Amino acid sequence: MQFKDQIDFIRQHMKRNKLRVATTILAAMMGCAFLIVLASVGFGLHKTITDDVLNNQKVTEIQVAGKEDSEEKISEKEIQAMREIDHVIATVKRSSPEAEATAVLAERKGFVPPVLVDFEEERKAGLVLSEGEMPKSNDEVLVGYHFAQTLLTEEEQEKVDNGEEAKGFAGSVIGQTFELELTPYEEGAESGTWKFTVSGIMDEPGKDWIINNKVYIDDSYGAEFNSKLSLAESFNEILVYADDLQNVGTITKTLKDKEYYVYSVTEELSSMDMFFTALKAGLIFVGTIAVLIASIGIFNTMTMAVTERTREIGVMKAIGAQPKLIQKLFLMESAAIGIIGTVFAVVISYGLSFLANWLVPIIIRSSMGDEEMGDFTILISVIPWQLVLIASLISIGVAMVSGWRPARKATKIDVIQALRQEL
Amino acid sequence: MIEIQNLQHTFAIGKKGKERRVPVLKGVTLNVGKGEIVAILGKSGSGKSTLLNVLAGFMPPESGSVKVNKQETATLNEAEMADFRLANFGFIFQNFQLMPGLTAFENVELPLKIKGVAKGERRKKVQQLLEKVGLAAVADHYPNELSGGQQQRVSIARALVTDPPILLADEPTGSLDSETEEDILKLIQSLNRSLELTFVIITHDEEVANVAHRQYRLHDGELVKGDKRHAI
Ligand SMILES: Nc1ncnc2c1ncn2[C@@H]1O[C@H](COP(=O)(O)OP(=O)(O)O)[C@@H](O)[C@H]1O
Ligand SMILES: [Mg+2]
Repeated sequence: MQFKDQIDFIRQHMKRNKLRVATTILAAMMGCAFLIVLASVGFGLHKTITDDVLNNQKVTEIQVAGKEDSEEKISEKEIQAMREIDHVIATVKRSSPEAEATAVLAERKGFVPPVLVDFEEERKAGLVLSEGEMPKSNDEVLVGYHFAQTLLTEEEQEKVDNGEEAKGFAGSVIGQTFELELTPYEEGAESGTWKFTVSGIMDEPGKDWIINNKVYIDDSYGAEFNSKLSLAESFNEILVYADDLQNVGTITKTLKDKEYYVYSVTEELSSMDMFFTALKAGLIFVGTIAVLIASIGIFNTMTMAVTERTREIGVMKAIGAQPKLIQKLFLMESAAIGIIGTVFAVVISYGLSFLANWLVPIIIRSSMGDEEMGDFTILISVIPWQLVLIASLISIGVAMVSGWRPARKATKIDVIQALRQEL
Repeated sequence: MIEIQNLQHTFAIGKKGKERRVPVLKGVTLNVGKGEIVAILGKSGSGKSTLLNVLAGFMPPESGSVKVNKQETATLNEAEMADFRLANFGFIFQNFQLMPGLTAFENVELPLKIKGVAKGERRKKVQQLLEKVGLAAVADHYPNELSGGQQQRVSIARALVTDPPILLADEPTGSLDSETEEDILKLIQSLNRSLELTFVIITHDEEVANVAHRQYRLHDGELVKGDKRHAI
């Protein structure tokens, strides 16, 4: 029998029992839709949390905290080697002198943490200024977004000490020259003073509770600070930047293989991935139970179909249809129920998913108030094509398995007995 | 064409463990040549259908041999037997055994579908056969919209559609009135003449048996030669 004719044959049969077939499809559809919608919540939460992680930090940044089994600081040579790894666009070293720093601008002063950086490398890493430009000479510096606001007059300092608010330096600090006084933490040590001119102001930090009032100084000053103030070797922060998020994983791995202690967004995500994979598998498993319940309906429908058509099956066999063909026709019929149910289920699931994503945030917002939510967006349900594929395989597979026994029964029908049945 | 040698068949009747063995065929031997019509007469319950069922391969012979076109049918497995039937036999049943959900046309078309013949070729063949049995006008009728005689014509067209050399008919006119019976018998005779088809007709009706070239009577499980009205 040609495949086209087999399809025709099945369609004719399904039409003859419209109501029964339709209710069975409905059950199959509900099972499959339940599976998809349930699992979609796992996918939705995963996406919500992943997006949150990716939105709230510099995702292409990889922190290198040191080397395994080594007390030594990471050397310039090692940093240079990191720059040569594929897809690394910059590797920056930031160090903080072991001294308390006070910035003095006219009658204002404030405590500002100094950071020694390589401006060229920072620029490559994608440093963003809110105002001004990168330093062109050694005595030009960048300052944090909140730098101006930390420069207080004595009056203002008193206010702040009393818990009141103070404005700090008003107007632009760009082009202003200030004195930076460094006092080593050691008791009785000599302090030193340097003059710097502000050339640019850093971008506002991503989270509104972060205060950046740092002073970014060219790292050529490192040696000078150390020798003038006889400071101890300062603490280094090393950050490697990838060109793209998708390469962070391989770079992280390369660094780990070289025995560095590394932390990157992929590290955070991969531990989350594990949890969510388990969650999704669990939800799919629970959803599959609904599909299995629906399969009882398919089993019943197919068993009834075989019983009803005993005489016709007998005639088919008498005429010369092979048992295999009979089996195939019935299997195809139960598969068709599964396929049609699945197609409807996919459509309905997308509808429900859309509805949930629209409705649930509205409900949460109305009960929690706008402020608490902030710009945090929640995706309750996400249906990726992989979920559609998995759910389809499960429900069509289950449909075929439940049609298997009735189909076998059909092949075993005895021609003589079947033909003896009354019309 | 058909060679049946010493065919025996026994049914076990009654409850398991206490069953009675009833011999229905006690050594039947029969040869049928190409283009012959052979009728097998017998009372109800004499074993005629059993003989035909074994011949058609619906059940295996208990002992003895059945050869069709030199092929020993007992050696074929179920799937091979299905193919063998499709190629060699056409069936005409007492109850017509048409598919209620298919039109006359589709019923006739069914064996060709099973055989895997392409649509265009199928249409031509079915059309041609429906004309031959005089049913072209009711091709799109369902079985329950046809008279008994028309239904039997559909079933004959269905039996012929794959061009099998042998037609097996079990009480082909058993459900028809005598006038319709005559029409069907005439059709069988004309098909036999024009297409050189071989018929084995099983009947309890002398009238029907009279169209045969040879008649046999099944009595007490044995086949006895009846009177030969038409010389071969
Ligand atoms: N499947 C069966 N099991 C037991 N006995 C059977 C079976 N089929 C037929 N018989 C018996 O075999 C005998 C012959 O039946 P059958 O060949 O149908 O006769 P006919 O067609 O000549 O009327 C009958 O007595 C019937 O009861
Ligand atoms: Mg009979």
